[in-house]
Amino acid sequence: MFDALVGFNYERGGIGPGVAERWEPGDDGESWIFYLRKGLRWHNGDPVTAHDVKFSLERTMSPESIASRAAALRRNVKRIEVIDDFTVRVYTNGYQPYFPANLSRAVFQEGQLMPKKYIETVGVEEFRRRPVGSGPWKFVRSVPGDRIEYEAVDYPHWRGTPHFKRLVILLVPEESTRVAMVRTGEAAIASISPESIREVEAAGLKVVAVPGTMQAIYQFYGLYRPEFRNSPLADVRVRQALSLAINRQQIIDHVMYGYARWPLPFAVFRYSVDTDIARWEAWAREALRYDPARAKALLAEAGYPNGFALTFVNTALPGTPFMFQIGEAVADFWTKLGLQVTLRHVEWGSYQPMQLGEQKGLAGNASMFRTAGRPVAAARYYGAFHSKSAHHLFGDPEHCDSLCQEFDRLHLEVVSERDDAKRAEKTNRMIELVANTWIAVPILEGMGYWAVNPNKVGFFNPIPGRHELGDVFERMPRPEERPWPK
Amino acid sequence: MQRYIVQRFVQGLFLLVLVAAVVFFLGRLTGNPADLMLPEDATPEDRAALIRTLGLDRPYHEQFLIFIANALRGDLGESIRYRRPAVALFFSRLPNTLKLVPPAMAVALAMAIPLGVLSAVYRGTLLDRLAGVIAVLGLATPNFWLGILLIYIFSVQLGWLPSARMGGIRHYILPTITLGTFLVAGLMRLIRSSMLEVLDSEFVKLARIKGLSETAVIWRHCLRNALIPVLTLAGVFLAALVTGAIVTETVFAWPGIGRLTFEAVIFRDYPLLQAVVILDAVLVLFINLVVDVLYAYIDPRIRYT
Repeated sequence: MFDALVGFNYERGGIGPGVAERWEPGDDGESWIFYLRKGLRWHNGDPVTAHDVKFSLERTMSPESIASRAAALRRNVKRIEVIDDFTVRVYTNGYQPYFPANLSRAVFQEGQLMPKKYIETVGVEEFRRRPVGSGPWKFVRSVPGDRIEYEAVDYPHWRGTPHFKRLVILLVPEESTRVAMVRTGEAAIASISPESIREVEAAGLKVVAVPGTMQAIYQFYGLYRPEFRNSPLADVRVRQALSLAINRQQIIDHVMYGYARWPLPFAVFRYSVDTDIARWEAWAREALRYDPARAKALLAEAGYPNGFALTFVNTALPGTPFMFQIGEAVADFWTKLGLQVTLRHVEWGSYQPMQLGEQKGLAGNASMFRTAGRPVAAARYYGAFHSKSAHHLFGDPEHCDSLCQEFDRLHLEVVSERDDAKRAEKTNRMIELVANTWIAVPILEGMGYWAVNPNKVGFFNPIPGRHELGDVFERMPRPEERPWPK
Repeated sequence: MQRYIVQRFVQGLFLLVLVAAVVFFLGRLTGNPADLMLPEDATPEDRAALIRTLGLDRPYHEQFLIFIANALRGDLGESIRYRRPAVALFFSRLPNTLKLVPPAMAVALAMAIPLGVLSAVYRGTLLDRLAGVIAVLGLATPNFWLGILLIYIFSVQLGWLPSARMGGIRHYILPTITLGTFLVAGLMRLIRSSMLEVLDSEFVKLARIKGLSETAVIWRHCLRNALIPVLTLAGVFLAALVTGAIVTETVFAWPGIGRLTFEAVIFRDYPLLQAVVILDAVLVLFINLVVDVLYAYIDPRIRYT
């Protein structure tokens, strides 16, 4: 029911126009100017203006905000200026090439626009009870724990005018129940996991797989530390051998039932900005191939012809429980290579604190991880490799060798480069630097999975990288308008 | 009696503090809610800022003392996910669970009483063994599995009943059977052993000597007396239904307190989890107290000192 300032590219995925139909950097190089669509209105009839944008951003970055990007906005935004009703300028702390992208709903789920006048008139509590948005669906009622009901707006909407009059989001936590409801027609669409794909297909339902929602990876924490200097994993040939030993196609076919894609380099998706996708497609086919003979040769060359003992910490991040199965398959391939693998399953709740401080239990071992589908790779690269980041896989401020220093320098160059072409070139160099270390290695590109009852909803395409269908409902046809291909 | 009630009340308070401490510290072992709310590329500073905003940056013992002090004022905190007072959320969902518990209890009794009585009356026969098998099956069947099985048969295959959600009377059938079956085995065994004891008592022999029909002896005289131990354990059974409702409400998307507990755990919503568990404990303590008091009135031989 809400709109975002920056939206999606509906066909390709990644960022696209939202309420702002375009944006450009300010002359000072330290601000962004957003030009809003004209004629938009809130569901109560008020016009959508730049004042609402300013209000929404300031609300999101307020001290009491718990939005996921609140701290980042507080850090990056200096002030917001309304130039006129349809133009707003955001002054940033320094040059921020990815500022608009980071406001997109593709990155920032809570980054919706809120109606300033309405909230100031009725108060926050009343707004929570009876919210007013500017999207193609307007709020009807919420029954806590059961459902949220929406009604289509009765005017053409820029995101698409809904083909259905009502939209009811049912809150059904159990997957088997969700699938049953789609089978019986009590629901039209339900979120599923890969394990249900076969059942759904056998029942004559359709599976919609959203590409590029995540990348399953494994990574090595703390290898830069002096105590791991003699670890087999410290040798890049060993790390490359581990990748060559994995038959990714087999995992895609048998663990993900064919509903996953060959990955690109770490945190690169087919809709990523500032990246040479064709180059990385070619690289991925070759570099991430299954080549057990070469893997064995590399191990022998590194001095480990009979393998070595390896602890693999397997985990699944929220929303992607199938990571456990992928991790198990990877461990099997490493065992086949001759390693003595100890597989440790760790729930995410216990895994997350292990990443802090000394990274005890993770440092020096292999660990399963994930990258969510985001159009800007640089932010994810910072989080994984920068010496001051959460994972700091290349080094920390105390131990920052040449690789770590090179990455920190290159990342800074990427995020401060004003020329688009040069920034893209540097981004590709950063990707290459990381790819050649084999320290964070993609396994496959996962998808978001939905079971659809073809008698309830017509054929539709999801937005690549956008697991939720929040911006797709208004584009869904009725079954008679566009039947599903046989 | 008054002294007994006061004594139970004080015991209850002590137990509540214990429950609060356990749920408070165990809840934190499952991780920090900030980690579910932040994107993967969040910096350590972003994480620290959110933890501060959520009030989770203080030492655990300090958080606990603040929690207890607020709890004594009736404030069990605000849900992180819903941004609403946890107590209000609990009481908004409680009626939905209470709608499910009585029919589930009725289902359990409707199945357990005949099975328990018949297996006692026909002790050692094939019927007794069959009832025993049913009891074991009921005990061994996880109710999430039973729920899914019932949905598959009656909703997906036969199309007779809705799969899930709260609604008209048809929506109650599958969840109440699932929840009720959970209790059948225990209840049935209890009724059986109680019936065996009663069947052997003097007043039953007298009733038979007086020429009462066997049906009247068993169903009118024996059963009424055999049900007294069941009433004693009614609090335990009701507590089992409330906790069993976590699974049943999750499988059937029933918006009660069981489902709320599940959500609180999944989203690491500490304040909500604490509130739900503590209020669940209050509910169970209250039911037990009421049952104990009732028991004294029903059975005049019982007197509390």
